[in-house]
Order: sequence, then structure tokens, then C-alpha cells
Amino acid sequence: MVRFLIFLVFSAWAIISAIGVVTFTNPIYVILWLLSSLIAVAGIFFVAGAELVGALQLLIYAVAIAVFYVFVLTAVPWEKAVRKDPHYRTEGVLSLPLVLLLYLEMAVVFLLGVVASPEGKFREAIAKIGNAEVVGSVLFTKYFFAFEVVSLVLLIGMIGAVLIGRKESQTYEDDTG
Amino acid sequence: MESVWVDLLVAVIKILVILGIALGLGAYLTWVERKVAAHIQRRPGPMVVGWHGLLQPIADGLKLITKEDLFPRYGNRFLYNLALVMALVPATLVFAVIPFGPEFEVFGYRVKPILTDVNVGILLVFGLGSLAVYAIALAGWASNSKYPLIGSMRKAGIIISYEVAITFAVMGPLILAGTLSTYQIVQNQIEQNLWYIWVQPVAFVVYMFSLLAETGRVPFDIQEAEAELVTGFTVEYGGMKFGLFPLVEWYIEVLTLSAIAVVLFLGGWSPLNIPFVGFVDPLFFLGPLSPYAWFLLKVTALFLFILWLHWTLPRYRIDQITEIAWKIMLPLALLNIVITSLIAPFIWD
Repeated sequence: MVRFLIFLVFSAWAIISAIGVVTFTNPIYVILWLLSSLIAVAGIFFVAGAELVGALQLLIYAVAIAVFYVFVLTAVPWEKAVRKDPHYRTEGVLSLPLVLLLYLEMAVVFLLGVVASPEGKFREAIAKIGNAEVVGSVLFTKYFFAFEVVSLVLLIGMIGAVLIGRKESQTYEDDTG
Repeated sequence: MESVWVDLLVAVIKILVILGIALGLGAYLTWVERKVAAHIQRRPGPMVVGWHGLLQPIADGLKLITKEDLFPRYGNRFLYNLALVMALVPATLVFAVIPFGPEFEVFGYRVKPILTDVNVGILLVFGLGSLAVYAIALAGWASNSKYPLIGSMRKAGIIISYEVAITFAVMGPLILAGTLSTYQIVQNQIEQNLWYIWVQPVAFVVYMFSLLAETGRVPFDIQEAEAELVTGFTVEYGGMKFGLFPLVEWYIEVLTLSAIAVVLFLGGWSPLNIPFVGFVDPLFFLGPLSPYAWFLLKVTALFLFILWLHWTLPRYRIDQITEIAWKIMLPLALLNIVITSLIAPFIWD
């Protein structure tokens, strides 16, 4: 009962923050709403007993990823940040079908996921060997191939970032000499 | 039902004790720092207010609280004040996962001197620790002034770089301990008869570098850089609001990260450890208080070490700082993980 109440608090917090993300115009406030919603989602994970996922949510999303938005946005001049005129209106309309498609995909994945993972499948294992250990053993046995493919995708992304970074440094190389 | 209330009561008592220790100690560490700095530079330091300046922190606090609260005219007042909250809260929350001593029994209840022994404690420490970057970025942006903005950008860059290095550095001890719970890490070191610093010296060095960088201590205090940036992101803050940032960064964060270093590398509350010999306890006469004395002693030693560096070394340039992080510390930490994985089976036995 207490757990359900806490879950409700965190979900309401997450939803209100998400609404804040799309309604506010000042980019700094948007980042703060995003941060607040990410922390609320971490809270939901903690309530559900998924301590590892909750901690990773905090460490990776709330800190490592959102920090880069802050890093970029603090470089936005003050006058631009508080400007009110709507930009990217055409782009917004054009991207609407794609957004709908994404939502459809999310709904399908969610429904498939509900069918695929019956509740409480890992509960005994978690009680026996602990949260992080269960995630590790499932990740490195059953989903090993998918895990490696994902790390390959990340590696490609990293190489891409290094290449883009290098190109720029070559352009400005002569300035110093 | 009764046990729930007892648990709640124990939790509240623990919170009050921890907050009291953390904030009280935080304020008095300013006096310690001024005294140590003074003696390093061969002057007496604060001597006037109280015996050897012992009442100086109270006088400073009164002065800071009664000062006029200035605010930059075109700043953003909400974010300006929010930055203070976001600096203080995550830093003090880290105390929740620091184990101060072994389990003991009071009135038949077993009490662990740690607020929450979650089994992802270490991850929480670094998650909360790097939330500090938001406070700094907000403080810089909301002040609407050039110096704070540059200072906060520098600090954000440093934290992002060293967060990577520190996370990989703690992997070594974590592999050896085989758990993420801070309490269990100490327990495993006692069972394995080994402080992890003896097998993880590289990780310890990387950790200490990152500690200095994240807390903005010399030689990494480039975001303050009095000579070029006045005091970085705190320029537009006045009175106690100004006092809060150094209090959080220089004292509370240094304390928490030192305590985590003690937990990870120096065996927490365990007595002196000699490789191949085991634990030797010169403080045995303290009886059940000896673990707490050891924990306090180790954290104090690390804190004094950091003060010693702070008042001795010159400052790095910003490009040198990021270069150290990415080109030296990160590869060292990665190499350490590989070597640790190779030697870990020998230590587990």
C-alpha cells in the first residue's frame, strides 16, 4: 500500500515534469524539468525494487547525458534564451507523422514486453544473489549477442565523433603556426 | 508493525546524527584549514577570537549571515537560489551510504552505523556527486555575468572529464570486493585480510586526482582562479550564499569523497593492515570504539593530505587538466581494470 502511494507520487512527479519539458520556452527551465522527470523515473525504479536500474538511471541519464545539454545551453546568450517567438514551426508540422509512428512503435514494443516478461520471474534469483548480479548474469548469458551488437553501435558512434572532431582540428591547424 | 516504527525511529536518529556531524564539522573545518594553511606558510593564523581562534568560524558565520543580500539586476532570481539548493542537497545525501563502523546491538536491535545499506551504494555516490555540476552551471548562468559563466563552464568540463576517470578507477576495488554495497566492501576487505590500496595503488592515485579535480581543490581550482576570474561562479553571490559554495565543495564534498576513498582503499573501520601479516590494532585499548577511531583517523589523514597539497602546489592550466584526465588518468584506470581482472582470482581465495 505504502509502495503504491510512493509509486503514485513519483509517477505524478514524472508526468508533471514531462509536461513542463514541452510547455516551457526558456531552455534552462526545460533542462531542469527534464532532470526532474529523469530523477522521478529513477525513483519509480527504486520503488519497483530495481535498485541497479535506478542507480544507473541517475548516473547515466540524470548526470552524464543531461549534463551535456546544460553544458551547451549555458553557452546560449541570455537574450536568446528568454526569447518567446516560436521557431521551427514548419519542421514541427512536418515531423508529426514520424512522431506518431514512433509512438505506435513504442506502444507495440510495450505490449510485446508485457507478454514476454511475466511478473516475478526473477524475484527468487534477485533475493538469492542480489540485484546487480541478476542483471549481469542475464545480460551476459541470454542477451549476450544483443549486448555485443549494442556496444558495436556505440563504438561506431564514438569513431564517428572522433572523425568529426579531427576534421575541425585540421581546418584550424594552420592558425597556430 | 512495531518493527516498522523502530526502523523509522532508528533512521531519523541516524539522519540527525549524520547531518549534525556533517554540517557542524563542515563549519569547523574552515578553522582547521586556516590553521593548517597558516602553519604551512609560517604564520600563526586566526588567534584573536577565542583560544587560538577557536571561535573564529562562529564569528565568520555571523558576519556572513548579517551581510546585505546583493543580487545582480538582470539575473534570474529563481535559478540563482535554486543553484544553492542543488549544491547542498546532493553533497549531503552522499553521507547516506557511508558506513562509519561495524554493526552493533542496542536494546536487542541490530543497528548498522550507515543510513541506507543499498546494494548499489557506490553507484549512488557517483550519481549524486556529479549532480553538483548542475548547481555550478546554474549558478554561472543565473548570475548573468561573464566571470561566473566562464568559471562554471570550466568546472563543468573538469567534472565531466574526471567523472569518467573516477568511475573507472573504482572498478578495481569493486571487482576485488565483488559487490557495490559500501558496507559489504569494507566487510570483504576484513575477510580477505587486505586493504585494497596494497593491490590497487594505481586506482588510488587516479581516485585522488579525480577527488581534487571534482572538489575544485588546488591544483585543479581553475574554476576559481582568483587572478583571472576573481572567484569564478561565486562572484555574484554575497553573504552566506557566497559562503555556502566553498563549504559544500571544499569541506562536505572532500569529506564524503575521502570517506569513500577510505571505504574503498583503506579498509573502512578496520585497523592497520600489513600485507601478508594481517590486521594490527595499536588502538585496541579503546575497545568497541576502536573501529570508529580508525575510521575518523583515516578520513582526517586524507583530509590533511588534501590540505597539504592545496597550500603547497601551484595551479594547472585548463588544457593541462583535461589532458591529464583523458590522456593519462583514463588509460591508466582502464589498464588497472584489465590487470585487476587478471589478479582477482588470487585475492578471492
